[in-house]
Order: sequence, then C-alpha cells, then structure tokens
Amino acid sequence: MLTTIKSELKPFEDLAHNFAVRELTANRKVNDSYPFGPFFDPVVARAYEAGLLGITVPEECSGAGQGIGALCVILDRISAVDASLSGIIFTNVLAQEIMLAAGGKDTLKDIMGQATDARSTLIAYPAFCNPGETQTRLDAVRTGGTYSLSGTIEYVVLGGMAGHALVPARIKGQDGYTFFLIDQGGKGLTKSEPIFSLGLHACPGVDLTLAGVEGRPVGKEGDGARCFDHASDRMHAAVAAIQCGIMKGAFQEALSYSQERFQGGREIINWSALRMLLGDMAVQAGIADMVVSGAAMAVDQQDPQWGLSARAAALHLSELACKLTTDGIQILGGNGYMKDYGQEKRFRDAKQVQALLGLFPLRKLGLVSAMAKGQ
Amino acid sequence: MISPEGSKSLPDRESRFDESLFSLQAMPKLPRGMLKETRKAVALAKKFNDEVVRPHALEIDRQTHADPEYLPWDLVKKANEWGFYTMFIPKLFGGQGFNMPASAYVVEELSSACVGIANVVFVHYLGVAGILASWNVSLANKIFREVVRGQKTGKPCIISLALTEPGAGTDVEENELIDRARLNCHAEKVKGGYIVNGSKIFISMGHVSEWCCLIAYSDLKKASENTVTFAVRTGTKGFTFGKHEDKMGQRACPASELIFEDCFIPDEYVLRDSRIREGFGTRPIADLIEQYIHFVVSVTRPAVGAFGTGVARGAYETALKFAGETEVDGKLLINHEWAQAMLAEMYKNVVIGRLSYTEANYANGLPGGIYNILQRKPVYYYQKYAPKFIFNYLISPLLDFEITQRIFRRLFVDSQSMEVQQRCSGWASLAKIVGTDMGVKNSQMAVELMGQAGLRHERGAEKFLRDSKLLQIYEGTNQLNRINLFNNLIGSSIPQARSFDE
Ligand SMILES: Cc1cc2nc3c(=O)[nH]c(=O)nc-3n(C[C@H](O)[C@H](O)[C@H](O)COP(=O)(O)OP(=O)(O)OC[C@H]3O[C@@H](n4cnc5c(N)ncnc54)[C@H](O)[C@@H]3O)c2cc1C
Repeated sequence: MLTTIKSELKPFEDLAHNFAVRELTANRKVNDSYPFGPFFDPVVARAYEAGLLGITVPEECSGAGQGIGALCVILDRISAVDASLSGIIFTNVLAQEIMLAAGGKDTLKDIMGQATDARSTLIAYPAFCNPGETQTRLDAVRTGGTYSLSGTIEYVVLGGMAGHALVPARIKGQDGYTFFLIDQGGKGLTKSEPIFSLGLHACPGVDLTLAGVEGRPVGKEGDGARCFDHASDRMHAAVAAIQCGIMKGAFQEALSYSQERFQGGREIINWSALRMLLGDMAVQAGIADMVVSGAAMAVDQQDPQWGLSARAAALHLSELACKLTTDGIQILGGNGYMKDYGQEKRFRDAKQVQALLGLFPLRKLGLVSAMAKGQ
Repeated sequence: MISPEGSKSLPDRESRFDESLFSLQAMPKLPRGMLKETRKAVALAKKFNDEVVRPHALEIDRQTHADPEYLPWDLVKKANEWGFYTMFIPKLFGGQGFNMPASAYVVEELSSACVGIANVVFVHYLGVAGILASWNVSLANKIFREVVRGQKTGKPCIISLALTEPGAGTDVEENELIDRARLNCHAEKVKGGYIVNGSKIFISMGHVSEWCCLIAYSDLKKASENTVTFAVRTGTKGFTFGKHEDKMGQRACPASELIFEDCFIPDEYVLRDSRIREGFGTRPIADLIEQYIHFVVSVTRPAVGAFGTGVARGAYETALKFAGETEVDGKLLINHEWAQAMLAEMYKNVVIGRLSYTEANYANGLPGGIYNILQRKPVYYYQKYAPKFIFNYLISPLLDFEITQRIFRRLFVDSQSMEVQQRCSGWASLAKIVGTDMGVKNSQMAVELMGQAGLRHERGAEKFLRDSKLLQIYEGTNQLNRINLFNNLIGSSIPQARSFDE
C-alpha cells in the first residue's frame, strides 16, 4: 500500500521481494535450525551486497539515505518469507539510528566507510530491551581519554557476529546512561554461546561480559535515554512493518492451504466456520498494511505526534500478529504445527518481534504517559 | 426456521438441570476414598516432577532440537518404573486401579512442569481408552496385563492410538463426516484375520509404543458403518514406522507415521469389527461407531483440557516467580499494579480450566457415563480392598467368556442413553476448548510479562508457548470441538438444527 502512495519506494519493494524469494524461501527451515544448524552467513553477505544493511544511513555515510518508509517496505516483504533477516536488518538500523540521534554521524561514517563485508558493517545491539527500564549492568570508568567498560549485558543481538556493538553503560557517579561503541574483537570481551530463543533463530543474540573493554562514547554523557527514545519512536514503525509482513505471509499460506486441503468432501475454505477464521485474518492483514503505511508516512513527514503513531502501530500490530499467526497454524491443522510449513515459525517470530524495544506492557503504558505529557 | 413455540422453549431446554451442575449431582454418591486416593496420585506426580521432569525438561527439549530424531526411551523407562502406565488401569485388568478422574489432576500436575513429558506418560491412556471402549474385555485384559508385566520386568509396554490419516484428520473424528473423507487405511477380511494397507500420521508415541490401537476401515467409501479396531503389536510383519515429525513443541513426545503394507492381523487381535454386532443391542451400526468415538473422546478431551490447564499453570508460575524477583522501572515487577492484574487474570484462567475439566469428569461419573460403575461405592471399595489374587486368578479368566463380554456391553453400551452420550461428549469438548485456550493464553501472557527473559529457552516461558499450541489442534481441533459442543449440547434439542450440512 505504501508503494502505491509513494511510488518512489517501489524499487525497494521489488528488491526485497526478489531477494526474499531468491535467497530465503528455499532454505527457511534450515536457516531456522540455528543454533543447532548452520548460520545463514551467505544470505547476510548477499543482503550486504544488495545494500540492505544501510538503507536509512545518510548517503554521506555511505548509506542509501532513505527514510523509514523504504525500511518498512523492505522489512514487510522480507518478513513475509523469513523474519529472521528482518531482525538482523532491524537491529543494525536501530543501532545506526541511535548513533545518528546521538550525533555520532562521523563514527558511523567511519564504520560504513571502512567496512568491507557484512560483518564489519553490522553493529550489534540489545534490541529487546529499553535500557532505561531494566537495570543496566555495565559500568563505564574514564581512564585518561578513553572509557573502560565492565559488567555483563544480556541478549546483545548480532553480538556473535557483528564487527561492533553499541551498548548502554552507566558512567560512575552520573545519572542516566550513555551509549558506547565497542570493537567486538577487542580485549576483555567474552561472548556466550548463541541464545536459544523462541523465534528469529537466525537473528541470534549473545550475552556479553566485559572486563575493562575500551568503549568509545556515542553522544553526550548521560544522554542515552533521549537518543534511545528518539530512535525507538522511529523504529516502532519498523516493528509494525515486520509484523505486517509476518501477518501477510501467514494469511497467504493459510489461504492457499485452505483451497487445497479437503475435509468433509470439500476444500476446507468452503466450511463457513473456517472461512470466518480466514475472514478475520484477511481483515487483520488488510488493516496491518494501512497501519504501517500511516505510521511510516507520519514518521517520514514528521507529522505532529509521529512518535505516538509509530508506537501505536507497533503495539497494535504486535497483538494482531500474535493472534493471526495462532489462527494461521490452526487453519493448517496438524501440519501447521510442523516445521515443514511456515506457520509455526511465524507464530514464534511474531511473539519474539513483539518484545523488540522493551517490555510490551510498559511500552503501552509509556504511550499514555507521553500523551498525558502532551508530547 | 424455529417456530415461535420452539424458540420460546429454547431457554428452558438449555438450562436443564441434568445438563449442568454435574458436581452437585455426583458428589453425594461418590466414595470418600476417592479424595484421599486423588491426593496420593497428585503427590506422586509432584514428586515425579521434582525428581524427573523439572531437572530434565529443558535439557531434553534442547536435545530434540539438536537431534530431531530423539526418542524418549529414558523417560518412558522412568515413567514405567514410577508406575504411571498402570496407575489408571482397573484392578480387574491387573492395574493399580486409581480412580480415573484422578488422572486429570495428575495430568495437570505433570503438564505444569512439561506438557511434552506429560504426554509421554499419558498418551498411553488414549490407547487404553481406545481399547477399553471397544468392550472387548478379553483382549483388553491380555494387553493391559502385559503393561503390568512390563512394569514389573522394567520393559515398558505402552499403547498408542492411531486414527488420523494423511488425508483425513477432522473427518475421522466425526462419524458424520467420515463417509466424505479421503481415507486410505483399508482392512480386508481374509481367512483367519484381516490384511491392512494404508498409513496413519501424527501418532503420538508411535515409535516407542509396544501396542497400537489401530482404527481402520473395511469399506473406505462407507466407513461410518465399516470400522474395524485392532490391537497391533510393534514389529508385526507389514507394520513399519515412517516419518518422525519435526514439531514446534512438545518435542519430548514423538509424533509418528505408521505404515501398513499387506499387514496381516489375526482375528484374535480384532478389538471390534462394527459389522459384527452380536451383543451390541439394537442401535444402528453407525450409531454404535459414533458411540465408540464419543466414549473415547469423553475421557480424552477433558484430559487434554487438563493438559491445557497444566500449561496455563506452569506459565503462570513461571511468570509469578519472575515478577517476584525482577525489578523494572526501579521496583519489583510484582508491585506494579498492571502486573498484578495480569497475574490475577492468569490465575483465573487456571481455575477456569480446572473447573471445566473437573465438571466434564463429573458428567462421566453420572449414571451412563464411562466412569460411573467403577465409582459406585460397593464396586469402588471392592476393587480397592479385595485381594489381588481374586482379580488375577478368579475374575480374570472369566473375562474370556462370551457371556462376560455381553455383560460389559450391556452395562456400558446398551445402558447409555443418547442424552448421556451427548452430555458427556459435549462437556468433554467444552473442557477441551477452555483448558487449551487458557494454556495458550497464559503462555502468551507469561512471555509478554517477562520481556526478553521470556524469549530465552532456559527461562522456560517460551517452551510453554510452543508446547501449548498443539493442544488446540489434537483430539479434534478446537473448531471441531465447538461444532461438537453445538451438536451435543445445543443442537440436540432443536429438531431443525443440522451440522456439517451447509
Ligand atoms: C503432534 C500431534 C499429535 C497427534 N497425536 C495423535 C494421535 O496420537 N493419534 C491420532 O489418531 N491423531 C493424532 N493427532 C492428529 C490430530 O487429532 C489431528 O491433527 C486433528 O484432528 C486435526 O486434523 P488435521 O491435522 O488433519 O487437520 P484438518 O482436519 O485438515 O483441518 C484443517 C483445518 O480445517 C478445519 N476443518 C476441517 N474440517 C472442518 C469442518 N467440517 N468445518 C470447519 N472447519 C473444518 C480444522 O478445524 C482445521 O482448522 C495428532 C496431531 C498432532 C499435530
């Protein structure tokens, strides 16, 4: 829908669609078996070559200089096939957005400029939390001109593979937290085994333990929460887009299955109770498309209250996606529960994506707090 | 169209006392010993959870991801040692003879730790129910006693039930649909037995069972009147296992494909051939087959409701523990009002699930229900206190006489009215829908409440979610169960109402 309103986004949609069909469809099950099977390195490498890892990064930093709208159409298309790659793109963009919000354009420029492959481009980030809500367990101590970071930080997405990581830490004696960029090859850094998670298996995270790791501050000291909130507002639209893609994928698979599967002497789509379930899914997927378009445009046009629109979109679509993917399995009966079909993965992925950017109920409460403050 | 008089009388029909409040009707007549016995059964399940299930559940789940061909032999061995496979087999057949409704509380208990492992233990009773409801007590006696011997010798002997086929899942759960189904499991009568060809899929515990209660059809086009139920031993020539399904959850419990290729099954292993109707009263054959299915599901669907309730409880307990030890926004999660409301909702869901399956089992305990006879005080206490040798050496041989078989059929098949059958089956569906929906709901809420911790395998919440979803599918999808509820509790008293007829 977004591409009908903004035709300039069509090439991104085509790029993502073709990429998903070519690179993701055939190996969805194998890719999802990580951490017990191989990781899909070659796919990430090709995503890098196709320019999917720097969509919203300004051109002067060697990115594509696009807005959230372009990111949304890409994530939507990819997630319809395999949301794990969307998780990777999302995490990387989130880290980049925080850096940009913190005024770290030059640092980002360095990373992007010097990168020679996917790994050196990627920036790991703990994408499933809002550092302000949970206790940050990293401490930063200034030693001369640099900072030394110590402590543990959980669930750093891409932490096992990215060249850099962006992590929040508290500077001793100060309120709030600050973001630091660390070199993932640096001394004093220990990585756990990949976390075995509910969904997005091929978008892995690790726990990082830092013992005096050198960190480069990104933005002003103690300004982390502001940077996170700004980036988080924008990235909520991206969460909505991932959920929208998952929903469309689940609906399509349910629709085609129900036209092929026979029970009671007819295609199951012709039983009205099942058709009603499909009807609910069709409504939800249709709404999802409109919601993402609205949110992405609100962000890109900087509408008044664009942040609230983006947050509302993500919260609503996350709930819808969890419901729709449950029904998506149900329509396929026992087959829906098996890894040979895409529905069980979508069910897990939708729930996992719902947790991006922090505790789901608190994000809802935060929305009301922001409205009450008249933001 | 419902006539004005008909529509006026609808509310009267639906609130009929006998169709609800089963607990109130059943309780005064129940033996008091059932309570103590149920406590004992649940205490054993708790102990099993502490010593076997909880220490291993996550590790086994992990192992099944690393090796999708994993089979739970060790767990089966343990459950066998602990006596779970004979616990609810009546003493008449050599079992421990715990009262059957107690099984639901045991199921809930085990499922609150791991519903996959709870299935490793309890799918066996789906097979037991399939065999028992054939009322071929002679063959049932032979097989159940083998289960008992298996416990003594340490060589587990468990039973699966095979109904679902690749082309027919919902259709085989419902006799009204079965003649329109794409069936493939054919049983051809030959001299001395049957030749079976075809396949079954999604059969829980197939690969690790010693016996399979197999439902096949002597006429694939008119299965509603031509159903043959067999007991087939693993290893029988022509019976092999195909695919072991790669499932989202409940991975400790395998789902197997069963393949029958010119598999000869001798007459002595026929539990029931619907065309042979001697001793089965006057009901039409199709109704008898339907009654058989309803007997089985009246027992197994409340049990699935209990699986769901157990998952709901496990998810709730996991979330509660997390909320009590995790600080969010500067204070413990459990002290946020919104979190308290969520936890209260989850608690409520558990209770509603439990009330539903309990009530469905009370329905089974009323006259005409499958549990009724064993719960009559004289029978109950005789079963409980009579010395074992009376069952083993005096009563057991009698089970082989045709006259005994007839008595059982008279007691269970003929004496069950259509109203009782409908009440039990309708409530079984209700309990199944409620419990399983609560299981999924609470698992979702636990993951939400726990945020990123909820996503991690080692924290347990995500496994509850993966495991729970299956419950809405097997023992008939929840949609089929809604139609079954309509048919049995609503449509049955409305002459104009038709199901599967649009
Ligand atoms: C892990 C697992 C373990 C299992 N264990 C066993 C076992 O031990 N033994 C055994 O026999 N079976 C077992 N089953 C099978 C289970 O009972 C079936 O999966 C279930 O009955 C649904 O059948 P199906 O999968 O063929 O779905 P289908 O019947 O193909 O249904 C697909 C969809 O169509 C809907 N539908 C079908 N017909 C109608 C209709 N008339 N009106 C409205 N909607 C309709 C269904 O509700 C569902 O949403 C197991 C299944 C699984 C997944």
